Amino acid sequence: MKPLSSSFRDPSGFVFSHAGSVYRQVNHCFSSTYEAFIGSGLYEKLIDRSLLVPHEEVAGIDVGTTTDCYKILKPRQIPFISYPYEWSFSQLKDAAMLTLRIQLEAIQHGFILKDASAFNIQFIDSRPVFIDTLSFERYEPGSPWVAYKQFCQHFLAPLALMSFTAVELSKLMVTHIDGVPLPLASKLLPFRTHFIYSIATHIHLHSRMQKRHADGAENDNSRKATNATLSQKGLLLLVESLASAVQKLNWKMPESEWGNYYANTNYSDHGGNEKRELVDHLLGSIPESLSTIQDFGANTGEFSRIAAKHCELVVSQDIDPVAVELNYRATHITGPTNILPLVQDLSSPSPAIGWGNAERESFSQRSTCNALLVLALIHHLAISNNVPLPNIAKFLCGISRWLIIEFVPKSDSQVARLLATREDIFIDYTQQCFEQTFSEYFSIETSKTIPDTERTLYLMKSLACAAVG
Amino acid sequence: MKAFLPTLFVLVTFSDQASAYLDPGTGSMILQGIIAAIAVAGFTLKNYWYRILAFFGKEAPKSLLDDDENAQKPE
Repeated sequence: MKPLSSSFRDPSGFVFSHAGSVYRQVNHCFSSTYEAFIGSGLYEKLIDRSLLVPHEEVAGIDVGTTTDCYKILKPRQIPFISYPYEWSFSQLKDAAMLTLRIQLEAIQHGFILKDASAFNIQFIDSRPVFIDTLSFERYEPGSPWVAYKQFCQHFLAPLALMSFTAVELSKLMVTHIDGVPLPLASKLLPFRTHFIYSIATHIHLHSRMQKRHADGAENDNSRKATNATLSQKGLLLLVESLASAVQKLNWKMPESEWGNYYANTNYSDHGGNEKRELVDHLLGSIPESLSTIQDFGANTGEFSRIAAKHCELVVSQDIDPVAVELNYRATHITGPTNILPLVQDLSSPSPAIGWGNAERESFSQRSTCNALLVLALIHHLAISNNVPLPNIAKFLCGISRWLIIEFVPKSDSQVARLLATREDIFIDYTQQCFEQTFSEYFSIETSKTIPDTERTLYLMKSLACAAVG
Repeated sequence: MKAFLPTLFVLVTFSDQASAYLDPGTGSMILQGIIAAIAVAGFTLKNYWYRILAFFGKEAPKSLLDDDENAQKPE
């Protein structure tokens, strides 16, 4: 039994992995609250509405639990763990609304969320689901919501920053693991947000109140505050006020370099269709069943949608928040839903953060998969990012057993564009060199030129170094 | 019906929060009370207004969080 390095703050229990599955231990100190939670009908209601991850209580398994173990729960397993700083605007917004819906439902059943962390949410079938089953504490009418500040930091502040200032500010959550501090958010938001009631109260005034009462214990007010009262009606209206604040936040997508990508490619219609069919065919030809496929540089997910037919989950990653946002919206409008779009910069992917640099896993730690699509991407890594081909090959080999990769030569107009304003130092960037380099890490199973283009698609199988996803 | 919650606070300890492990923040707790008090006052006034509307056959809008249809739609 191996406790998850992120699960240590809540004395009610913790999450651990054992024999390839994830479990949750409920400690004795939380036993009565847990049973009340189940018995009250709240658990059932949340499951019916698909808001909470379902679990089964497992008895008699020998996992070497600690002495305070009351019960072991086995939740529905999450196929891929993602973090709020990898989500697009709408993903974070949906996660925020989910948290508030759950809070409302909980209060109506006599419970309340004891935390409101964005890490309590994961995506299943492209929808947010709450995963922290032990987050429900008994509600005492009159008591304030202890997680209000956390909600503002994890959800409202980043969403407001993405909406009013810059969408890239979601990455602030990489350096601020407990959400964006409100004084920082207040400083970064434009002045006009002082005239929006919800932002003025929940962020700007909230920040001032925090600063004023920062030297807590000495202060008379702080003693009063720790004993503050909030009627049930007041609490419900507070939750509604937060919901209204989140709902009104919208992100006006800018014209991005990548947003109109597919209108600006150099494929002819014939070439484009052929590429789609080729990718479909190559995926189908892989002689094993695929549970997870990763699509790097997925843009709006056109090829992720093809890959989705061949596996249980496609993790569809791209550097551009506009593309990821469009991808996410499309999973809800046209489907398929077994796609998880994420914002990821492959030249500097999500690091491991938190206590001991181990609380939240790095991109590499989560990335192993059965098959990997690297389409129309290699020139961006090798030329725009100056990553030598051997480094790219080694990196990809460590992620997946099967690789479908598109080589884009210098004669291609897109690469010519990249080289137009810089010195061409990329002597080794040739098809021959590419094949030679990759053959040290992969065996090339098939290669096909895409009609009407200079590009070649390869199906490769890694040689011994890939961890199977 | 309570018309208005005063912004001075009554001493009531919140018990049975044995596993509420977060630091709620002093300023955050005070602010909640203020925002809630304003919201309750506003709600009371709105209620009177909706009663007037109902008299003329108009319905009050639903809560953002109430509707089950909204439960799993993208925003």
